[in-house]
Amino acid sequence: MPLDTSTYNLALLRVDGRRWNELRRVHAQIRTQAAADGSSYLEMGHTKVMCVVTGPSEPGPRRGGVAGGGSGGAGAGGAGGKAEVVVGIVIAGFSSVDRKRHGRGDKRTLELASTVANALAASLHTHLFPHSQINVSLHVLSQDGSLLAALINAATLACVDAGIPMTDYVAACTAGSTSTYAANDEGADPLLDLNHQEEQELPGLTVATLGESDRVAVLVCESRVQVSRLEGMLAVGVDGCKQMREILDRVVRDKGRRMIQEGTVEKGVGLDDMDVD
Amino acid sequence: MPITILPPRSSRPINSNNNSRLPQEDASSSEESDSDSGGGVDLDGDVPMRPRQQVRTTFQARPPPRDLASAVVTPGEVITDDPQWMRGHGTYVAPQTTAIVSSVAGTVTRTNKLLSVRPLRARYTPEVGDLVVGRVVEVQARRWRVDVGSTQLAALPLSAINLPGGILRKRTETDELQIRTFFAEGDLVVAEVQQLFGDGGAVLHTRSLKYGKLRNGVFVAVSGMGGGGGVVRSRRQVWTMDAANGGGQVDVVLGVNGYVWISKHVETPEAEATAAGGSITNMEESLSATVYSSQNDRIEVETMREIARLRGVVMALVENGLRVDEEMVIKGYHEAVEMAMVSPEGPDDIYLGGEKGQQLAAALTGA
Repeated sequence: MPLDTSTYNLALLRVDGRRWNELRRVHAQIRTQAAADGSSYLEMGHTKVMCVVTGPSEPGPRRGGVAGGGSGGAGAGGAGGKAEVVVGIVIAGFSSVDRKRHGRGDKRTLELASTVANALAASLHTHLFPHSQINVSLHVLSQDGSLLAALINAATLACVDAGIPMTDYVAACTAGSTSTYAANDEGADPLLDLNHQEEQELPGLTVATLGESDRVAVLVCESRVQVSRLEGMLAVGVDGCKQMREILDRVVRDKGRRMIQEGTVEKGVGLDDMDVD
Repeated sequence: MPITILPPRSSRPINSNNNSRLPQEDASSSEESDSDSGGGVDLDGDVPMRPRQQVRTTFQARPPPRDLASAVVTPGEVITDDPQWMRGHGTYVAPQTTAIVSSVAGTVTRTNKLLSVRPLRARYTPEVGDLVVGRVVEVQARRWRVDVGSTQLAALPLSAINLPGGILRKRTETDELQIRTFFAEGDLVVAEVQQLFGDGGAVLHTRSLKYGKLRNGVFVAVSGMGGGGGVVRSRRQVWTMDAANGGGQVDVVLGVNGYVWISKHVETPEAEATAAGGSITNMEESLSATVYSSQNDRIEVETMREIARLRGVVMALVENGLRVDEEMVIKGYHEAVEMAMVSPEGPDDIYLGGEKGQQLAAALTGA
């Protein structure tokens, strides 16, 4: 069913009842897999992603070769003084409405993987782990738009859980515009966090920023859009990333607080109760 | 990264602007008002997108942390911007600032003027003197490569093991050729970290009768140090305990790296030698005979059952987020034995997963 954008101007509500600047419900968990070094589960609306991080560890025997299963690598590998970030993405056949088989060498999946790998490699302190490899395995369970953003957010959370030092969270989200490229509507509003239906019909972009700064780590735009609208979309997207960072941060803090309460982690020290001399 | 040493400043309270907004308030207030304004923001491009003060740099925009003692810090959070502190592990100094920023999620620790963040969970980082359990994964010309759960494989040089036929014997080329007769791929070893490389790699040694090849038991891997329950560095990592239900004596080795070995207790050659009143040469002979053997001794069914029960205790401790050390394992084991007493299956009931594990954990934390 095509998206009816004509009703937006009447109530200023989108197909799923959100306003232009509203994120979908985000639910996230960390430490979902006990055996993994780091793991996370993230839902952005109906987009559901699972992530498992292994490492940093000694690179496996299939070093140097192209890893199968839709993977992308970033970083100088074992040879240089940095850890290599290897991302593998598996898209489940049942994840979208039309049951589709995603082959191993699917170009789209490979591109997603290399985007996630490069974004993570920029934030993670890979120079601390020479001759090693960080393996990020992402599983897409359900797709409803903003897939790349969900993948980046889930991977960030899993890396935090794995205790890999990083500059800051890489939080991502999407932004779009209320009318199509063809409509050439100068007064179109920007939209935050596109769902699948909106993603199909409207111009959109995925943006990821580093922490609370305005530093853009990822910017992907695969649709045609007037350049005059781009700035508004980007501004809304960057703002959404900040909201997303707060959400991710709260998940990590809640988990940490619970662990301190349970006594699995020792309390930290305050800086105030020490004598300054 | 070099540490910048700045001239001391007059003492002023750290976190002096404690009364600034908390991030939670920040989050709620950053959301636009709930009115149906219809998205009428200034997006025409001729006016700034957002109020000026929101476009500050990262490191000023964030409020200083509150009550560090009870809270966790997360990546990107400024711990302090006072230049009197030095940064330790788990932190970095942002370029062109003096702010110390956390790079992991964890709790803040300090050693004099050194601030570091202990992660909630991380891989094992070797330190000199650590007792570790590892598995040999690769045999090279003059050394073994051992998986100790660290970021890299540890090295165990041929020169750092006790060669059979005398501790002080010189290493020969014959030994190099027969390297697999000492340790082969898949063998488990208990060793000590002797030396660290700059890049985090470790060198192990087994030059003590306490160390060497492991047999007669079962291996358990609990997640690395910190969070989710793990092995903590403690005074005693290796002990022998009396098992209940006629299980004889059982050895437990808690590697600092989170690898655990539980085995039937076998009298060490040293003890045997002294018991027999023999000299040091006797000891060496018995050493050569047993230390590099891959053959298990005969283990009674009762001992096996108690070893399995101990393994269940360790797993239950980990699953319920309790620390794994001598005190907890012994207390947990006695608790598990009592739980088995009242069970309809009697002492053969060694299952400690699920609800029984929770029951065990509750008994341990309550006591």
